[in-house]
Amino acid sequence: MSIEIKGISKQYGSFTALSDVSLTIESGELVALLGPSGSGKTTLLRIIAGLESPDGGSILLHGEEAARQNASRRGIGFVFQHYALFRHMTIFENVAFGLRVQGSADRPSRAKIRERVQELLHLVQLESFAKMYPEQLSGGQRQRVALARALAVRPKVLLLDEPFSALDAKVRKELRDWLRRIHDELHVTTVLVTHDQEEALEVADKVAILNHGKVEQIGTPQAIYDRPASPFVYDFLGDVNLFHGRVLAELSLDKPAGNMKSHIESVIGFVRPHELELSRHLPEGQKAVLASVVRVHSAGPHVRLTLSITENGRPVAAELSRQRFEQLALTLGDYVFVWPQSIRLFDEDGKTSQLLNHGAGI
Amino acid sequence: MSRHGNNPSSAMLQPTAPQRLGRASLILLALLFLGGFLILPVVAVFYQALSQGWKIYFESIHQQDVLSALRLTALVASIAVPLNVVFGIAASWAITRFEFHGKNLLITLIDIPLSVSPVVAGMMYVEVFGLHGWLGPWLSEHNLHVIFAVPGIVLATVFVTFPFVARELIPFMQAQGSDEEIAAVVLGSNGWNLFWRVTLPNIKWALLYGTILAASRSIGEFGAVSVVSGHIRGQTTTLPLEVEMLYNEYSFTAAFAAASLLTLAAIVTLVIKKMIEMTSGVHGVPEEEEVES
Repeated sequence: MSIEIKGISKQYGSFTALSDVSLTIESGELVALLGPSGSGKTTLLRIIAGLESPDGGSILLHGEEAARQNASRRGIGFVFQHYALFRHMTIFENVAFGLRVQGSADRPSRAKIRERVQELLHLVQLESFAKMYPEQLSGGQRQRVALARALAVRPKVLLLDEPFSALDAKVRKELRDWLRRIHDELHVTTVLVTHDQEEALEVADKVAILNHGKVEQIGTPQAIYDRPASPFVYDFLGDVNLFHGRVLAELSLDKPAGNMKSHIESVIGFVRPHELELSRHLPEGQKAVLASVVRVHSAGPHVRLTLSITENGRPVAAELSRQRFEQLALTLGDYVFVWPQSIRLFDEDGKTSQLLNHGAGI
Repeated sequence: MSRHGNNPSSAMLQPTAPQRLGRASLILLALLFLGGFLILPVVAVFYQALSQGWKIYFESIHQQDVLSALRLTALVASIAVPLNVVFGIAASWAITRFEFHGKNLLITLIDIPLSVSPVVAGMMYVEVFGLHGWLGPWLSEHNLHVIFAVPGIVLATVFVTFPFVARELIPFMQAQGSDEEIAAVVLGSNGWNLFWRVTLPNIKWALLYGTILAASRSIGEFGAVSVVSGHIRGQTTTLPLEVEMLYNEYSFTAAFAAASLLTLAAIVTLVIKKMIEMTSGVHGVPEEEEVES
């Protein structure tokens, strides 16, 4: 079932949770709503579920206006951050709940309910836990029960509100992969709210980035990571080095193209740590800055360096392959030349962006 | 930690001599206080009641007036307590699950019976329902008797016990949150199923706890009931009033015999209360929700 979100706004007193948000989620897609806390992502999810009512705009579920539908009639599965399992019911009863409370006309027979619950417990690999109570399960197991419970009523849309954020890193990663597998199996239209960019980029077909109640960008994980539409998105999706216009002007950009030239003073340049090139010797014709090595993190597949630009003392983060690092044989206090392979420029207002490749110098 | 010798917890376990002395004297003081002000008086009640032997004790209890007072007390409690349960659940539900104007006012109002002297509560009812009160003339025209009759006693008791269930449930339901209820709604549950299958099972122990407190108060209430009852023997006298009347008539043994019934009721309540605490973990405030790290 597709979800069309049209011009949704929501205000809490003087706080604007959502302002004129529009978004289309295709049938069978897994979309992540990604943003920092207070960006409105959970509010949007609760509005889709019918747990909150928007001040303006409309939600179309499969082309039908949902505003007049009560949360209990929208055919939605909801998974909560803190599981919200029924604590006095066994795991079996938890999963069966949605089936048992259906109106007598739609309610399946006892045998059918039993069959369906077994099927779901099999899906989440918790068959042997049927008689236990939620408090006897670990966090990861509880969240799997919560998912089984949400899926039991065959929802047309599955909504997940930061489902893994209360779990430790390892379990979180497991459940993430597992959620993706289940989605590939069932093809339920799914909306996942998260503040974890890694989670969003890894699991979702599409990622919508929210900030201050607005959608900053929506696209495939690849598109979003490679071509951030705004400084915010750039900053939010991982480490980045910022070079303000002043820095750029001082060191002069090699080929400032077209319209950028005129207001070069007010430009911000973004370079990801792995996009920085380091060398002990300056290749001919390459503009670069000189920096010293301040810190070396060499645990993991990549080596991360903190550098300090000699001229102004600004810190810069760089990431190298282990091989390249060994080639350079850098140690603390060493001096290196640094230049970006590519740099993305934004106007100070964050609107216009421009990508400069190899020729760029800082 | 043991490598460093004394750690804080072992220091706690092995107090120095002055510490031990201080602790012992504090415990002794508490015990003396408890004995003098609580245990001794309770024992005295039973001692007096039984001072002329079991035979007299049972005869005192079997008096017509005492029995009818006992019946009236039971009747009043059996009306007031269910009313409070219904009101308590409704009020706590409204306060913990909805946002509305005047919520704080409602919370304050619920507490009024606890801060107003019961005698004043009784007088308020006399002022409203009494023969010369606001509704008095209308009531007597329709031959309805509230003051100096059973309805007045019930009203006064309901007023005094008003906060008990609600005050027990509100913090409990606040701490529990409404996640499970929201989950139930999203799963398609209607209000009826929501209440009976999710809410009630979750609050049952706190509810029972509050109910027991309300019951014990409604059995023992004296002040408010005394004002509205009129002390008509065999008709509008509850057990606490009967005790006072017997006492004022110098029927000490009979007074203490009746008092011993009230004391027994209190002890039974305490035991049930303790049992609820042990089986459910309810102590007025629910146990901390386990938090995953």
